Amino acid sequence: MEADVLIVGAGPAGLACALRLAQRASAQPGVLDLENVSVLEKGREVGAHLLSGAVMDPRALRELLPDFEKEAPLDSPVTSDAVYFFTHGAQVRFPVTPPFFHNSGNYIVSLNRLGKWLGRKVEETGITIFTETAGMEVLYDEGGNVRGVRTDDKGLDRDRRPKENYQPGSDLHAKVTVFAEGTRGSLAKQLWADKGLTRQGNPMTYALGVKELWELPQGRLEAGSVAHTMGWPLAAAQYGGGWIYGLRDSLVSLGLVVGLDYRHPLFDPHDAFQRWKTHPFLRRLLEGGRMIKYGAKTIPEGGYFSMPELSTGGALLVGDSGGFLNSQRLKGIHLAIKSGMLAADTVFDALAAGDCSARRLAACRASFEASWAHEELWKVRNFHQAFEHGLVRGIFHAGLQMVTGGRGLYARYSAEAGHRRYVKLTERPRGQPSRVAPDGKLTFDKVTDVYHSAAKHDENQPPHLLIHDADICNNRCIREFGNPCQYFCPAAVYEMVEKDGRQQIHLNPSNCVHCKTCDIMDPYEIITWVPPEGGGGPNYENL
Amino acid sequence: MPDAILTVIEQQAGKLNRMSLETLAAAQAMGRDLGREVEAVIPGSGVSELAGQVPAPKVYALQHPLLEPYTPDGYSIALKQAIEQLRPWLVLLPHTYQVRDFASKLAASLERGFVPDCIGYKVENGDLVLTRQLFQGKMNVDVAFAGQPPYFASIQAGAYRADQLATVSPAVEQIDVHLDPAQVRSRPGERFQEAKRTVDLTQAEVIVAVGRGIREQENLSLAQGLCEALHAEMAASRPICDNGWLPMERQIGSSGQTVSPKLYLALGISGAIQHLVGMKNSRVIVAINKDQNAPIFEVADYGIVGNLFDVVPPLVEEIKKAKG
Repeated sequence: MEADVLIVGAGPAGLACALRLAQRASAQPGVLDLENVSVLEKGREVGAHLLSGAVMDPRALRELLPDFEKEAPLDSPVTSDAVYFFTHGAQVRFPVTPPFFHNSGNYIVSLNRLGKWLGRKVEETGITIFTETAGMEVLYDEGGNVRGVRTDDKGLDRDRRPKENYQPGSDLHAKVTVFAEGTRGSLAKQLWADKGLTRQGNPMTYALGVKELWELPQGRLEAGSVAHTMGWPLAAAQYGGGWIYGLRDSLVSLGLVVGLDYRHPLFDPHDAFQRWKTHPFLRRLLEGGRMIKYGAKTIPEGGYFSMPELSTGGALLVGDSGGFLNSQRLKGIHLAIKSGMLAADTVFDALAAGDCSARRLAACRASFEASWAHEELWKVRNFHQAFEHGLVRGIFHAGLQMVTGGRGLYARYSAEAGHRRYVKLTERPRGQPSRVAPDGKLTFDKVTDVYHSAAKHDENQPPHLLIHDADICNNRCIREFGNPCQYFCPAAVYEMVEKDGRQQIHLNPSNCVHCKTCDIMDPYEIITWVPPEGGGGPNYENL
Repeated sequence: MPDAILTVIEQQAGKLNRMSLETLAAAQAMGRDLGREVEAVIPGSGVSELAGQVPAPKVYALQHPLLEPYTPDGYSIALKQAIEQLRPWLVLLPHTYQVRDFASKLAASLERGFVPDCIGYKVENGDLVLTRQLFQGKMNVDVAFAGQPPYFASIQAGAYRADQLATVSPAVEQIDVHLDPAQVRSRPGERFQEAKRTVDLTQAEVIVAVGRGIREQENLSLAQGLCEALHAEMAASRPICDNGWLPMERQIGSSGQTVSPKLYLALGISGAIQHLVGMKNSRVIVAINKDQNAPIFEVADYGIVGNLFDVVPPLVEEIKKAKG
């Protein structure tokens, strides 16, 4: 297949890119036939792999679809803001909500529902979305320009032998490929390495968000109420915090974001989230309620200095794949949409000029720099790095940055990749994590939570988590780090089980919720996450 | 004869295909209800003798050297020529793998639709209405033909009974086919062997399921002994099938089978929710687990807290004694 534009990933960035292309094509006929625009999505349907808190700043969506408020599935406008500092067993409410936590004018949304709606809008334009189809490999032409992607093989068994329903993947060629795979995209990662897209020196750093959706007794929490928590159960040296968003129909979105740059290799973000729910503040809120959904996702929060080059020959990066996330406001949906629109403009102009070279596509950098998205990200360029040495120093530097327009003490605060920050067990990391014993009512084990993500994969398929050298897991990691994969994975994919009289690594890939934490946080960088057969993965609803 | 019901008979290595005879039974029933003649056509090479075994009053042997072995090109071209000569009202096919392969091509070459995999029919105001299933059998839908004949439909395996066929000895007639080697573009590979019929746990009345507590593959013989004593099917939770100790079709739970036998015996299964959703509707659940807090006990009617290696052997003995 030969397309004009191929968009990999039907999230807010990819779908906004598609819609904006459609708008440009109808305003200027003759440049782009929308039949030649395709979107690939690995989920069972659009939205199945989308998860966020989420409080959305509507700025970008309003630019894309000025009348969105009439038809978009917005849950509730934000009606109140609060920030709490948690200590063990108590909480202090911040007397003033810091300005970056002000959410008036914003909407609480389910990203999964918003994505479904955007997907329908895209399909109405005549653009085709291929669901259950994953991009497996970046294809290049002889000159090294991106030529498209190869899709996943269907119907291979565990040993890569064809089953009855075998169908090999196809090579999809396009003049321009837009990588909108979300956080730690597997193709974006390939492209980043192949083309050396690192721009400013800081490695990308991530956080993991673990979320549950609960149904509460009626009248417990007002729809539109937004609360964030800092402190307990995270240590002062840890980056992260909780959210509590009141939704319509007595639902509440709860979650804990944990910086993937913690020191103790046995720390378990899912366990910390369960512990967080046992705080009296949450215990009171959730009493008599029922957990109905679960999900997890990583968040690229490295900020401006971690963003890659946004283009290369024949390709652009948008949304989380391009690092478009404001780590101070913990918001990325509006930046994802904006980046998709900017990319669409660049692509459309390039097609109109008949030139999709690296030089031409680099125009997206200039349009990004001229946009409010750049202004917003520039202001918080050093925010996340300020917290690398703990909350106290973080507040000092972040305060300084606020009065110096984002600069602080240094022009660029450096950062270190999260997986390099573990302290080896042999070097006695501080604060041995204890574990919550799940009670099945307020707190849950990972396997029960995974059930509520509706994750499903065909069991008889090649593993999609590639461990390049299991000897490192079984002989070295076990001594040095205690196999942190068992703890950082929020879906119980990694297990150490006794085989032949000793502990060995064992994978349960069918539990995977596609958060990519393992690809980010394994201390030896020997785990590679690749997409499973298209259609596999969580089936998020209202998350 | 024009306006008849023409049944396509499949043959393989000198034998008539069973589903073709079932389809002929369907055709005979329709013929009676609609007052139409029933005829048969058998494509192949050297099939005159086989044609004589088909229990229809008139059987056409559609022969050409290029029809052996089967190819979708050869069959659809030859049958198209036969249909153009015979001008039937309905062409009825067995829903075999071969028919799935060529029938849409044949119908399309005559610019007709095709109603595949029908399970029955009725006659409404003199018109034929076919029934087929949707959504994996959750729903039935009635389909009537529009436009001009010939119409095309295929019949699901087992929908009609071949032993109800009226016995007739046929008049066999040859039909000429013009086939050029250049028209047959595909070359058949080895014949596809349908996978061996897998175990249907949903029909089992007693299931003995094993979990991680069984520890080693060799220990499955213990559970096997219990299965034999109880005439039960063996099943397992995910880790056992994941290890390859039992085939995946014996896995119970959200990524395996959902069962509701009269008796479900869980040996060394902790009872993660993924497993429970596959078996919690069993009539009686008996769980043996050494961890008294295992969630399996929440759904069990009878629970034994203990090591399955201590519990199962005497249990087998007692069952044998009780059964005499």
